[in-house]
Amino acid sequence: MTDNPFRAGLETERTPQPCVFVIFGASGDLTRRKLIPALYNLAVSRLLPPGMTILGFALTESSEDQFRANMREAVAQFSRRKPIDEAVWADFASRLHYVSGKFEVPESYQRLLAKLEKLDKTNGTRGNRIYYLAIPPSAFRAVNDNLSAGGLVSNDADRYTRIIIEKPFGRDLASANALNADLHRVFTESQIFRIDHYLGKETVQNLVALRFGNTIFEPLWNRNHIDHVQVTVAEDIGVEGRGKFYEEAGASRDIVQNHLLQLLMVTAMEPPVAFTADEVRDEKVKVLRALKPILGDDVARLTVRGQYAPGHFAGKPAPAYREEPNVSPTSNVETFVAMRLEIDNWRFAGVPIYIRAGKRLAKRTTEISVHFKHVPHALLKHDRLAATPGETSDGSRVEPDVLAIRIQPDEGIGLRFVAKVPGPTMTLRPVTMDFRYGSTFGGSGPEAYERLILDALLGDPTLFARADEVSAAWRFMTPILEAWEKSPPAGYPNYAAGTWGPAAASDLIERDGRAWRRL
Amino acid sequence: MRLALDAVEPELSRLWQEEADKGGAPRIGLFTLVALASELPLLGRAQGVVAEVAATYPSRTIVAMWRQGVDAAVTADAALHRITATGAACGDAIVLEATGGGREWLPENLGHLALTDLPMCVWWVGDLPDFDKLFDRVAVDADLVIVNSGEMDLRDLEKLSMICKRIRDSTALTDLTWFRLRPVQELIARFFDDETALACLTSIERLTIEFNPRDGDVDAASTQAGLLFGWMANALGLKGDTVAWNRGSGWNEVTIGRLVGRFEHRHRDDVPPGSISRVTMECDGARFEVERQEDPQLFKWSREAPGAPVPPQTLRIKTPDESTLLIRCLERPKRDLLYEKSLHLGSKIVRVVAPRLSTRIDG
Ligand SMILES: NC(=O)c1ccc[n+]([C@@H]2O[C@H](COP(=O)([O-])OP(=O)(O)OC[C@H]3O[C@@H](n4cnc5c(N)ncnc54)[C@H](OP(=O)(O)O)[C@@H]3O)[C@@H](O)[C@H]2O)c1
Repeated sequence: MTDNPFRAGLETERTPQPCVFVIFGASGDLTRRKLIPALYNLAVSRLLPPGMTILGFALTESSEDQFRANMREAVAQFSRRKPIDEAVWADFASRLHYVSGKFEVPESYQRLLAKLEKLDKTNGTRGNRIYYLAIPPSAFRAVNDNLSAGGLVSNDADRYTRIIIEKPFGRDLASANALNADLHRVFTESQIFRIDHYLGKETVQNLVALRFGNTIFEPLWNRNHIDHVQVTVAEDIGVEGRGKFYEEAGASRDIVQNHLLQLLMVTAMEPPVAFTADEVRDEKVKVLRALKPILGDDVARLTVRGQYAPGHFAGKPAPAYREEPNVSPTSNVETFVAMRLEIDNWRFAGVPIYIRAGKRLAKRTTEISVHFKHVPHALLKHDRLAATPGETSDGSRVEPDVLAIRIQPDEGIGLRFVAKVPGPTMTLRPVTMDFRYGSTFGGSGPEAYERLILDALLGDPTLFARADEVSAAWRFMTPILEAWEKSPPAGYPNYAAGTWGPAAASDLIERDGRAWRRL
Repeated sequence: MRLALDAVEPELSRLWQEEADKGGAPRIGLFTLVALASELPLLGRAQGVVAEVAATYPSRTIVAMWRQGVDAAVTADAALHRITATGAACGDAIVLEATGGGREWLPENLGHLALTDLPMCVWWVGDLPDFDKLFDRVAVDADLVIVNSGEMDLRDLEKLSMICKRIRDSTALTDLTWFRLRPVQELIARFFDDETALACLTSIERLTIEFNPRDGDVDAASTQAGLLFGWMANALGLKGDTVAWNRGSGWNEVTIGRLVGRFEHRHRDDVPPGSISRVTMECDGARFEVERQEDPQLFKWSREAPGAPVPPQTLRIKTPDESTLLIRCLERPKRDLLYEKSLHLGSKIVRVVAPRLSTRIDG
C-alpha cells in the first residue's frame, strides 16, 4: 500500500485489502442486527475494497438468493442509513454468498474451502480471509479445530487469515485460558481479534484523546488530586428475550468482566509510548494486573450483587427478573453488581474506584466520573467558610470538582466546579460546564461495529482485547464469582425494577463518606 | 445594517443570555469563519452556506460585503445561528457591510471580531480577482484561506499557485474543488493497491479525463480536470518541463514524456460545469477506469490488469454542495502539501494553453 504513489499524501479514509469475510452463524441474531448492517454501511461509505466478498455459513439450508433477501430485510430494519440505496445494495448483494453446513462436520469445511477458492479466482481476494464467529461459545472449539484441519488457515506474507470472536471469552479464568490455548494452537495472537464493542465507541476513544491530547488533565490524573472514581454502566431494559443467555452470564459476565473493566483500563492506564496496538494494550493490561484482588471476607465487604423485583419503568409495570421468559423462577443470577476496587500502583494507590452495572436500573446511562479532592484549605474562612478544609461555616461541604465522561447516551464531557454566586456575600455554588459531541461536531459517527470491522479488515487490533487482557480480567473476577457461588445470595430479589439497585450498593460507597453521583 | 461595530459583542451576549434564560444550548465556538462576498449577489449564498457550516461546527461566522458609497463606513448585523429554524442556537452570525473606503477597514475589524485564540478561516466567495489587496491583507491573519478554483478559469490555477507561494507558511490555502475531487482520487488510488496492478504504473501511456465544459468554454480543460491531472502527473512522477499540446474539436491532448493526457468534453446537464465524468488510464493490456453512470451520483470502478482479476464496483459519490465542501475543508485547517504540489504542476502543464494571466503578469 505504501508504495502506491496515488496514496502518498492523500488524506482519505483507509481502504483495506480485499478478502472473503466469512460469517459463521450467518442466520443468527448478531449477523442480522449488527454485522450485515455494519458491512452495508461501510459499502455506502465506500470503505469496502473492490472484490470484497461476504460468505455466510450456518446450519440452515438456504439458497444464495434467499440469503440475500434475508440480509436485505436485516439492512432495511437495522441499518442506520435509511432507506436502502438500491444501487449500492445491488453491488453489495452481488458480493454476498452462502454455504450451509454443520460446524462439527469436516466435510462442511471442504465445501467451504472449495467455495473460497472459487471466490478467490473470480473476485481477486487472493486467499485473504476473515472468519467472524457469530456463534454460540459451545461451538468455538469445533470451528477452530475444523478450520485448522481443513487447511483453511494460513499466515503467509502474501495472504492473511484473521479470526474475530465475540464475547463471552470464557466463563472464568480456566475456561478463558483453555479458549485462548485452543485459538493459539491454530492462530497466532496477531491473527485473533476479540471484539468488545465498547472499544469501538467514539467516546471511549475520545477518553484517550481527552487524557493524552491535552496537557491540563493528565497532571491531575493521580492520587494527589483524585479522591475517587465512579464507573456506571446502567441499562433500563430487562433481559429482552435473552433470558437463556443471561441465566448463564449474569451482570458480572455480561458487562463487568469485559465492558466495564475495559472502561476502567482506558481511564487508568499510563500514557502509552505510541498509539499502536501493542503499546496501548501493554498499558491497559498493567491496570488489570495492578487491581487489588478481592478475596475471602473482602468479597462480602467490597462487592454487592442484586436481582430485580417487579417495579415500574416509564410509567408502566415492569416484571421481576424471575418472571422473564426462559428464566428460572428460583434463579439466583445477578442482574446488578457493585464493587469497590483499588488499583495498587504509583498513580492510583489509595484511590477507591466504585463500579456498578445492572439491568432495569432507573436510567440508561454509561459514565465514568472522576471526583477530585476537597479544597485543602478554606481560603475564605474569615467570610462565610469555616476552618475545616472544604467545609462552609454552616457545616455543609464545598462540593469538590468532578469530571464526568458520558459514554452513552448524550456522549460528552461535563466538568463540575465551584463558582461564586453573584452578590455581596461569598456564597459558593457548584456549576457545570458541558460539552456534547453531538452539538459540537454535528452528525453521528460510525457505529461501533463499523469501526471495529473496518479495523479488523485493515489488520489493526488496537481496539480489540488481547489474550492477556482477557486472562487478567478473569483472574480478577474469578475469585469473586467462586465466592458468590459458594454462598448463594440471601434476599433476592433485592431491588425494584426502575431503581438504582439494592440498598447495599449505597451502603458500599456511603460508609466511605461518599455517594453515588446523581445521574 | 443597524449596529455600530462596538455594539456587536454586547448584542451577541444579550442574545445568548436570552437563549440561556430559555434553557437553550451552551455557547460554543470552534473557529471564526469569515466569508468575503466579493459581489453583492453572493451575499445571500454566503449567508446560507455559513449557516449550514455553523449547524455542523458551532462557530462564529462573519460575512463581509461591500458596496459603492461616498462615506466610508462599516456597519453590522448580529444574530444567532440555529441548527434548524426553531432549534437550538449554534453560533454567532455577524454580517459586516462596508461602504466606500470602509472596505479598507475590513481586515482590522475582522481581526477584532474573531473569536479569541481560535482559528480564523477565510472563505473568498466566488471568483478571485487577479490582484486584490483586501484578499492579501485578510489572508495574512488567517489560519486557513479557502477558495474555489471551480468558479475560476483555467488560467487562474496559475494565480492560485502564485498565491500559494506568496502567503506565509502558517497560512494554509485550500480549495473547495480539491475536496470535490477527493472521492474520485480515492477510487483512482485503489487501482494500485496491489503489487500486480502497481507494476503497470510505469508503463501507463494514455490518461483520459472527460469533463463537463462550461457553456461556450474555450479552455482546454476545466480547473477541476486540470487539478486532477496535476495530481495524477505528480503521482506518476512527471515533471511538466516540456509539454506539447494538440487540439481538436471537443478535445485537447498534452504529451509529457511517454504519456499522452487527453481532456475530452462530455456535455451533461445533470452535473455541475467542470465535473469529471470519466478517468481512464491505459497501458499495454491493462485498463483502469472510473466512470460516472447515468445516475450522476453513481460511479463504476473497473480494472482490467493481467493476473489481477477483480469484479467492477459500483459506488455512490453524492455531489457535495458548497457547505459540505466547506465543512470538509474546515475539518483539517492546515497546509496540504499534496494540493500545493498538484496545483503547481497542474498549472505549469496547462499554462501553455491558458496563457493570458502569465503574459500579463510576466509582461
Ligand atoms: N445477538 C447479539 O446482539 C450479541 C451481542 C453480543 C455478543 N453476541 C455473541 O455472538 C454470538 C452469536 O450470537 P447470536 O445472538 O447471533 O446467536 P444465534 O442467533 O443463536 O445464532 C447462532 C448462529 O449459529 C448457527 N449455528 C449454531 N450451531 C450450529 C452448528 N452446529 N452448525 C452450524 N451452524 C450453527 C446458527 O445457525 P442456524 O440458525 O442455521 O441454526 C445461527 O446462525 C454469541 O457468542 C453471542 O454471545 C451476540
